[in-house]
Amino acid sequence: MAATPPHMDATLPRVETTPVGLPGWLGTVIWFARKKPLGTAGALVVVVMVVGAVFSNVLAPYNPLDTNYAAMLQAPSASHWLGTDTFGRDILSRIIYGSRTALFVGLGASILGSTIGAVIGVASAYFGGWVDLMVQRLIDIVMSFPIIVLALAVVSILGSGITNLILAIAIPFMPRIARVVRASALAIRETPYVDAARAMGFSHARIIVRHMLPNVVAPYLIMLTAFLGQAILLEASLSFLGLGVTEPTPAWGLMLRGAAVEFAERAPWMGIFPGLAISAAVFGFNLFGDSLRDVLDPKLRTS
Amino acid sequence: MQRYIIKRFLLMIPTLLGVAVLVFVLMRVVPGDIVELRYTLEGTAVSDELLAQERARLGLDKPVVEQFATWMWGIVRFDFGKSMWTDNPVKDEIALRLQLSLQVAIMATIFATLLSIPLGILAALKQDTWVDYAIRVFSIAGLAMPSFWLGILIILGLLIFFRWLPPMFYTPFWVNPWENMSQLIWPALAVGYRYSAVATRMTRSSMLEVLREDYVRTARAKGLWENMVIVRHAMKNAILPVITVLGLEFAFLVGGLVVTEQVFNLNGLGMLFVESVARRDYTMTQALVVLVGFTFILVNFAIDIMYAWFDPRIRYG
Repeated sequence: MAATPPHMDATLPRVETTPVGLPGWLGTVIWFARKKPLGTAGALVVVVMVVGAVFSNVLAPYNPLDTNYAAMLQAPSASHWLGTDTFGRDILSRIIYGSRTALFVGLGASILGSTIGAVIGVASAYFGGWVDLMVQRLIDIVMSFPIIVLALAVVSILGSGITNLILAIAIPFMPRIARVVRASALAIRETPYVDAARAMGFSHARIIVRHMLPNVVAPYLIMLTAFLGQAILLEASLSFLGLGVTEPTPAWGLMLRGAAVEFAERAPWMGIFPGLAISAAVFGFNLFGDSLRDVLDPKLRTS
Repeated sequence: MQRYIIKRFLLMIPTLLGVAVLVFVLMRVVPGDIVELRYTLEGTAVSDELLAQERARLGLDKPVVEQFATWMWGIVRFDFGKSMWTDNPVKDEIALRLQLSLQVAIMATIFATLLSIPLGILAALKQDTWVDYAIRVFSIAGLAMPSFWLGILIILGLLIFFRWLPPMFYTPFWVNPWENMSQLIWPALAVGYRYSAVATRMTRSSMLEVLREDYVRTARAKGLWENMVIVRHAMKNAILPVITVLGLEFAFLVGGLVVTEQVFNLNGLGMLFVESVARRDYTMTQALVVLVGFTFILVNFAIDIMYAWFDPRIRYG
C-alpha cells in the first residue's frame, strides 16, 4: 500500500503516478480520493459548508434576521424549503448563515487552542526538569474537568458573545494538545540541530518557535482537525444552553433552543433541520480528520 | 503491588488540591460577587453598608487566604458549608441531584457497554466488509450527533408516535421504579449512543491490534476453536483500553450531562452547576468542581491500578 502522496514520496518519479497533464496538487487530490473514499466524503461536506459560509448572502433565499409575522411556523413549502420559525424567519436561510457562525467559532477555537497548546507542549519539553514537571501537573489539573464543564465555566465567567465563546472552547483543548505535542517534542529536543541552535546562542523563544514547532506539525494538524468537529459541537451545545451566541445571530445550536422543543409537535421542522446541519458538519469534519490522521501519522496507519 | 497503590494514591492528593486552588481562585477573579448579583437583581438601590453586612455574614470580608483555609479545613472534615444562595447545606443540595445524575450515568454506561463491545468485536472480525463499514458509520454518526439533539428527536418521536411524554418530575427508583425508569431511560439512551460510539471505535481498533499478535496466531495454529481464540486470548488483552474509555466517559457523565439535562428538564448536577456559576455561589460551585474533579481522578486511579494488576511490567517499572 502506497500511503504517501506521490509528490511527497521522493523514491517515486512523479510522472508515473500523477495523471499526465495535471498539476501536482490535483494528482494528490485524486490519490486521496481513491485511497480514502470516506475521507473524501468528509472533505466534500467541509467544502459545502465553507461555500455556504462564504456565499451565505448569495445562497440564502431570505434575510436570516427578517421576521414575518404573517408566516409564522409554516411547514416546509416551495417558498420556505425548510419551513419557518416562531418569528416567521426562514429556517433554510438561518441554517446557511449559521454555517458562518459554526465555521468561525470552530476554526477560531481549534486554531487558537491548538496553537497555544502546542507552544506550551514544546516549551515544556524544551525546558524539561522542574518547568516540565510543573506544567505537566497543571495539565493534569485542567484535564480533570470534562471539556464541556470547563468551557461552560469559562463562558459563564466571561459572558456570552463570539470572542468569549471561542476562548471558552479553546481553553479545554490546550492541555490535551500540549500533552500530545510534548511527547513528540521530547524526541526533537535531543536532535543535533537543536543542540546546534543552542550552541549558536539563539534565544529560547527562537529555538522553540523556529526550530522545534515546525517539527511537530503532524501531531498538531491531527489534533487540530480532531478538534474542529468537537468545537462545532461545543459551540452548538453552549448556544443551546443560551451561553454562547445570542439572538438574533443565526446559529444552529441556538435554533434548537426553546421554541424548537415547545413546538415540537406543531412544527417539528424547527427541531429537525438545524440538528441535521450540526450532525452533518461534525460528521464531515470527523471523517476528514480521521483520514488525514491515517495519511499523516504512519504509526497509527494500522487500522 | 501494595507499594504501587500507595504511591499512586498519594499522587492523587496534589492534583485534587490543585483543582481546589484553581476553582477557588477562578471564582474570585470573576467580576461580580453573589451579594452584588443578588441585590442588583432586585433593581432597587442598596446601601453599601448592607452589602458589606451581607458579605460579612457570608465570610467574604475575610482575607482570601483565610477563606481558603476555612474551606479546606471544612473539606477535611467532610463539611462543604452552606450554599451562599439558598443557605441550605451544600451536601444536601448535591445529594438531591447526585442520585438522578448518577442513575442516568450508570444506565448510559450499561447501555453503552452492552452495545459497544459486541459491535466493536464484530467490526474487527469482519474488517473491511460491509458489516465493518456499517458499524463504523453508525459509530461516527454517534460522535457527530449532538446528544441534546438526539434528546429532542426522542421527545419528538414519543410525541408523534405514542402521543406520550416522559413524566416531568423526578421519582426516586425505590419509590416507583416504573415511573422513575420511564423518565430517566430517555436521557440515558440519548447520551448512551454517543458514549457507545466512542467505546465501539476503541473496541474495534484495540481488537484489530491484538488479532495481529503472535500469540493469537499460535492459538489458532494449535487448532483452538475460533470462539475460544477470540474470547480467551484476544478479548482478554483487548479489553483494557475499552474499560479505560468506558471509565473516563462515566466520570465525564457524572458532571457533564449539562445539555441533556436541559432538554429533558432534569434537575441534575449539571443544571445545578450552571445555576451556581451564574449566581456566583462560591461554596456550591467549589464543591461541585471538587466533586467532578475527584470522580475523574478516582476513575483514573482505578484504571491505573487495573493496568498494574493486569500488566506486571507497569508495577515494577
